[in-house]
Amino acid sequence: MTDASTPTAPAPEALETYLESVPADNIKLETRNLNFFYGKNKALHDVSIPFLNRSITALIGPSGCGKSTLLRALNRIYALYPGQRAEGEILLDGRNVLDKGVDLTELRARIGMVFQQPTPFPMSIYDNVAFGVRLYEKLSKTDMDERVEQSLKRAALWEEVKNKLQSPGLGLSGGQQQRLCVARTIAVQPEVILLDEPASALDPISTAKLEETLVELKADYAIVIVTHNLQQAARISDHASFMYLGRVIEFAQTEKLFDNPKVARTSDYITGRFG
Amino acid sequence: MAGFNRVGRRKIADALFVAFCTLAAVIALFALAAILTSLLVKGVSGINLAVFTQSTPAPESNGGLANAIVGSVLLCGAAMIGALTIGVLAGTWLAEFGGTSRYAAVIRFLNDVLLSAPSILIGLCVYYFAVRPVHGYNGWAGALALCLIATPVITRTTEDVLKLQSRQLRESGVALGAPFWVTVQKILWRAAGGGIITGALLAFARISGETAPLLFTSLGNQFMSFDMSKPISNLPAVIFQFGLSAYDDWQRLAWVGALLIAGAVLTINIFVRLISQEPKRS
Repeated sequence: MTDASTPTAPAPEALETYLESVPADNIKLETRNLNFFYGKNKALHDVSIPFLNRSITALIGPSGCGKSTLLRALNRIYALYPGQRAEGEILLDGRNVLDKGVDLTELRARIGMVFQQPTPFPMSIYDNVAFGVRLYEKLSKTDMDERVEQSLKRAALWEEVKNKLQSPGLGLSGGQQQRLCVARTIAVQPEVILLDEPASALDPISTAKLEETLVELKADYAIVIVTHNLQQAARISDHASFMYLGRVIEFAQTEKLFDNPKVARTSDYITGRFG
Repeated sequence: MAGFNRVGRRKIADALFVAFCTLAAVIALFALAAILTSLLVKGVSGINLAVFTQSTPAPESNGGLANAIVGSVLLCGAAMIGALTIGVLAGTWLAEFGGTSRYAAVIRFLNDVLLSAPSILIGLCVYYFAVRPVHGYNGWAGALALCLIATPVITRTTEDVLKLQSRQLRESGVALGAPFWVTVQKILWRAAGGGIITGALLAFARISGETAPLLFTSLGNQFMSFDMSKPISNLPAVIFQFGLSAYDDWQRLAWVGALLIAGAVLTINIFVRLISQEPKRS
């Protein structure tokens, strides 16, 4: 279905970098010809992009280019809203998550998500982390304590909260709350972590801590991060994709995309000539 | 100097506005203070053990309000259990599931109509549907009438406070793999808990003094009774009856009853607020 009123955008022109930079057997999650609709508005046009294991992929582009839409398609969180739908393929370990029979709660346990604003649940720090785990696993008190501690340690929050695990998560600072959300997400032991501008509400020090956390987490997860901060993308990501008007314009190893973009529009964006 | 004049005018306007607001607040508080003072002055002297142990007396003899207190607790308790169950679920449906559908819009409108319906109409209606068919005034009919008054208040406040919760809070529950209804129960209800409790307290305060619908339904009973299927005594109806009577001791008991209602609402308010304090930043 094509909407004539949709503005046309350039098709992907730089796929050779894509092919040389991506080992096929290391792809964890992949979209193929993904189209996304908000009602009649088409927000993504034939997006094909791979996300690798043990790697951080950054999605960059001007506001409204479809970065967040793409992210929200990957764990099908959009399914909460009637009228939003995706067409095409999203392959997680080769299986299409857009298929009808897919269990959405299981899918979301495998693909975790951290949002722009920190959203601690109205409960204790401990319960925030244990909440997701309790949905799927029956752990003994000791095992749960262990899981909570490990998750908080990996999110680089343990030292700051270990003496007040029973105090409310909402009592933490913004940066701590965001790391609590990361801890909560990894406690479920997902395979992929999606982050939607996770640092945009944080101060520089909290941002630096969060970035360190992500780089450490990369050892075990496929991480996808949407960011408006190009320096951040350059600092932490291994691959990057520039999107514009709902299309992938360029996908490459981060260094190549930043140092030697193949498409004029990408270099215009990176050098600040537009967007 | 034009600049000075403008600043001067603003200062005067500001001072006038603050003075006006303060005056309005003082008037409102004065009315409240006057009511509470007269309640205390005329009510406290009548409080004694008999009030809580003896039933309403015949004129010119000794007695208390025990039967009315028990009846009011039963009526309000049953009404609040029903109203909380229906109200919280209906409000949740409107906020989380009904959304912008036409059906939800109709329900929302009808709830608002019910919210502002005169209580005497509700009493009359319940009389037709729950008193006449069984040929007798009864406690359940009274509880039903009070429930119908309390439910729309709770429905409305539940919907409003749930809508105040951020979209991202809903999504983060779902993004962890929780089914939506679990997210609603364990996260949203908890996040909105303070507001829902406030709504419930407002509803309780509203029904605790309702008289008209009870006169049509529970009527009253001068003896102690726990049987909700029979006429049952209640404080508002006793206040109405005794307050208008010509007997001094009945009038004194009416004041005591009024004081008890005000005291109960105040105590429950304070108690619930204490146990449901919002978490503060550490």
